[in-house]
Amino acid sequence: MKKSIFLSFIMMITFSLNAQIRGVVIDKDSIPIADVEILIADYDIQFFTNYLGEFSIEIGIINGSNLYLYKNGYESKISQYKDDTELVIILDDLHVDIDEISVIASYNILGNSKVTNIQNISIKDVFLNSNSMLESVTELSGVDIISSGSGIQKVVVRGLSGMRVVTYLNGMQINNQQWANDHGIGFTDLGLDKVELIKGSSALRYGSESIGGLLYFKDHPFIKLEEAKGFIASKFNSNSYLSSNQFGLKWNRNNLFFNVHGEYSISSDYRLPNNQYLFNSRFKQNAIKFSIAHKKNNLQNIFRYQLHNESPGIPGHVHGDPSTVELTQLLSSDIDFNTDFKITRPNQFVTNQLFIYESNYFTDNSKISLYVGHFRNNLQEYEKWTQPAFNLTLSNTLINPNIKYSYNNSTIELGSQFSILNNVNNINQRLVPDASSINIGPYAIFNYEKDNLGVNLGIRYDYKKLKSKDNTVNNNKIFDIDYSKSFSNPSFSSGVYYKFKDHITRISYSGAYRSPHFSELFSNGVHHGTNRYEIGDEDLLIENANQIDLKYQWSNEHLGFVINPFIQHITKFISINPTDSFSGVYRIYNYIQYELVEIKGVEMNIHYHPHLLHNLHIEQSYSFLNTKNKDDSYGLALTPANSIKTKILLDLNEYDKLSKYKINNLSVYHVHKFQQNSFAQYEEFTDSYDVINLQLGGKLNSKLEYNFLIHNLFNEEYTPHISRLRGVAGGVPNPGRSISINLKYDF
Amino acid sequence: MKLGICALAIALFSACDSHEDDCHECHIAYMATDGTEIEVEITNSEGGEDFCGSELEEAEGPDFTYTLDEDVIIGTDTIPAGVYSDIHCEEHAH
Repeated sequence: MKKSIFLSFIMMITFSLNAQIRGVVIDKDSIPIADVEILIADYDIQFFTNYLGEFSIEIGIINGSNLYLYKNGYESKISQYKDDTELVIILDDLHVDIDEISVIASYNILGNSKVTNIQNISIKDVFLNSNSMLESVTELSGVDIISSGSGIQKVVVRGLSGMRVVTYLNGMQINNQQWANDHGIGFTDLGLDKVELIKGSSALRYGSESIGGLLYFKDHPFIKLEEAKGFIASKFNSNSYLSSNQFGLKWNRNNLFFNVHGEYSISSDYRLPNNQYLFNSRFKQNAIKFSIAHKKNNLQNIFRYQLHNESPGIPGHVHGDPSTVELTQLLSSDIDFNTDFKITRPNQFVTNQLFIYESNYFTDNSKISLYVGHFRNNLQEYEKWTQPAFNLTLSNTLINPNIKYSYNNSTIELGSQFSILNNVNNINQRLVPDASSINIGPYAIFNYEKDNLGVNLGIRYDYKKLKSKDNTVNNNKIFDIDYSKSFSNPSFSSGVYYKFKDHITRISYSGAYRSPHFSELFSNGVHHGTNRYEIGDEDLLIENANQIDLKYQWSNEHLGFVINPFIQHITKFISINPTDSFSGVYRIYNYIQYELVEIKGVEMNIHYHPHLLHNLHIEQSYSFLNTKNKDDSYGLALTPANSIKTKILLDLNEYDKLSKYKINNLSVYHVHKFQQNSFAQYEEFTDSYDVINLQLGGKLNSKLEYNFLIHNLFNEEYTPHISRLRGVAGGVPNPGRSISINLKYDF
Repeated sequence: MKLGICALAIALFSACDSHEDDCHECHIAYMATDGTEIEVEITNSEGGEDFCGSELEEAEGPDFTYTLDEDVIIGTDTIPAGVYSDIHCEEHAH
C-alpha cells in the first residue's frame, strides 16, 4: 500500500514536471495573435505562438510560474501557469506606451516596477535601429552620456556617473576602472535583450553603492526551438567609416539550450560639422559570448562566458593646459584610409572576460538561487609606443545566494552578496596602487501587492574592508601606502503604489552609501586619458545619499502622461577639482569632499496617439535637473543641461500602396538641449543646441531587415556640457551629420 | 547552410589583424611660451626619420636626450640649440 502511494506520488511529480504548457493567445475580438513572445520569467526561457495563436511546449516548470507575454502593439500581460491546464490569454490593444512597457504588467529583474521606479527598454534590435547602445538608452528621460565619439561612452543618470552609476550584466557587476571618464562601459550590445534602469538608490538587491542609479543589462533569453535559428548583421556609418558586424546562433534540444554571438567593429576618426576629423577618435573592438542552460526536473543550471577586446584611441590628448590648445591642432583635414584606421598613440587596450554560473532550484512558492560570477578587466593605457603608462588587472568575484518566497500577495527575498575585488598593477609605472577589498552585503526585500495597492520595503547592511599596501618606486616617485580600513552602513528602500481608475501614483524613499574608491584615495600620477595629474586623499569618508522619488501617471487610449519629481541629498560628496599647480605640463587635480550636495529635478513624459491616425505616435520627454554644491555657490561638475526629447513615429505597415517600397516605419527624433549655466567653479557656460535624427526602416523580404539612419540631419555643431572634451580647446564638437545603413538577415 | 554561415562568420571575426607598425617618427616636444607644443623632428642614429625596435624604445625612455647643434626656426618660433630630453614619438593630427 505504502509502495503504491509512493509510486503514485512519484508519477504525479514526474507528470507535473514534464507537463505540457499549452494555450492560445487571442485579442479582445477572439482573433488569434501570432508571434507573441512568451517568457517563462524565472527560467529565462522563451517561446512563441504560431500563426493560430497557439503555443505548446513540453517543459517542466513549477505550478504558479509566471508567463510574461509581449507583442508590439498589445498590452503585455503576466499569466500564471497551472498544472496541465490550457491557457486562454487575451491581450488588449496598447495604444499608448508609457514607461516603454505598460505598467499594468511588466517583468523586471530589478524588482516590482509598480512599487519601485524601474524603467526598461528593449535593446534586442539596437544594432539595427541605432548608432550605439548607449545612445539608444539616452532616449530615457534623465539619462545622458559622456563621450568622445562612439569609442568611449559612459552613462549619466540624473547628473551622476562613474562609480555612482553601477552597471550589471547578466547579474554580474561590471568593474572596469569606471572611476575615469575615459574608460568605457566594458561591453557591447552583442546578444543583449533589454536594459533596466533604477534611478537613484533603490537597487538594494544589487548593491548599496549605486547612489546615482543602476543599469541592468540582460542577454536574450534561451529559446525553445524546433531548429536552430540565427542571424548575421552589418552596419556602415559614413561619418567615421564605421564597419560593424555581428552574428548570433540559438539552438535547443530538449532541456538543453545554447546561445552564441560574435562581433567585430572598426572605426576611423569621426568627422566634425566643419568636415575635419577628430584625430585618434578611432577604435576597434571584437567580442564573443556564449551561454548554456540546462534544466532537469526542478533544477536549472546556466553557464555564460564573454570575451570583449577593445582598442579605443584617446582623442584630445595634449601636453600642457588643454584649455589653451587650438582646436585645429587636434583635427585632421582628411582621412587617410591607409593609416587612420590603425591604432596610434595615446590609446587603450582593454580586455574584459566574464564568467557566470547560476543554479536555480524551484519549488511551488519559492526559487532558491546560487549565483557565482567572475569579471576580469585588463586595462593598458599607452602614451608611448613601447611602454604603457599603466597596466592594470582588476578582477571581481561575486557570490550571491538568494531565496525568493511568494505567499498570497506577498513576496520576500533574502540573500547576500559576497564580493572580492583585486586591483593589480602589472608594471612598476602606475597611477593607482595595488588594492583589494572584500564586501559582504546581506539584504531582505519585501513586496506586497493586492488589487490597487502595492508596498515595497528593503534593507541591506554592507561591510567592506579595503586594503592597499604599495611601496613601489618609479621614476623618482614613491608610492608609500599601507592602508587598511573598514566601511559599514545600512541601506534601505521603501515604496508605495496606488492605482485609482487610470491614475497611478508611486512614491519611494531610499537611502544608500558609497565608500571611497581606491582611485579616489590613492591616485598619484599622470592620467593621460584625462590630461591631468591626479592626487587622491586617504582621509576621504563614506558618501551617504537619501532620495525621495514621486511618480504620477495617467493614460487613456490616445494620451498618456507621466510626471516624476525627485530630490536627493548626498553628504560627503567626493569630487575631483583642479588646482593652480602643475606637475610638469599637467595641471594637478585633487580629490576632495563636499559636505552636502543637493540634486533635484523633474522628469515628464507625454505620449500622444491620435484617434484619426492610429499609426502615428508622438512621444516627448522632459528632463529638468538642478544640482547644488552647498559648500559654495556653484553647481556640480558635469551636470547635463535640461532637455526636451521628441520622437515622432509613423508605422507604415497598414498602407498597402507603400508596401511595394518595402518601407515599414519612419521616425524623426529631436533633442533640444537648453543652455547650461549651472556648473562647477572651473567649468564654463554651454550654449543650447538642437539635434535631429531621421530613420527609415523596413523589410526587403521575410528574412532581411534594413534601417537607414541620418544622425544630426542638419549638421549642427555642438559640444554637450558633459562631453569628455568640453574643457579641451574650448570644447571639441560632437560628430557632424552621419548616414548609416544597417542590415540584418535572420535564418 | 546555417552552420556554414556561422563558420564563415567565426572565421571572419578570427581573421583580425592587430599588428602595430614597429617604426615611428619622433620629435622634440618644445613648449612655447604660450603653452603650445612645437614639434622639432629628430633623426635616428643613421640620419633617417624612423625609429624602430630597440632604438624606438630607447628614444621613448626616461634617459634619452637629443642634441640640437644649432637653432631651429619653425614658423615664427626659434628653438635654441641645446640638449633636449622631452622626446615624443606619437603621431599628431595631419
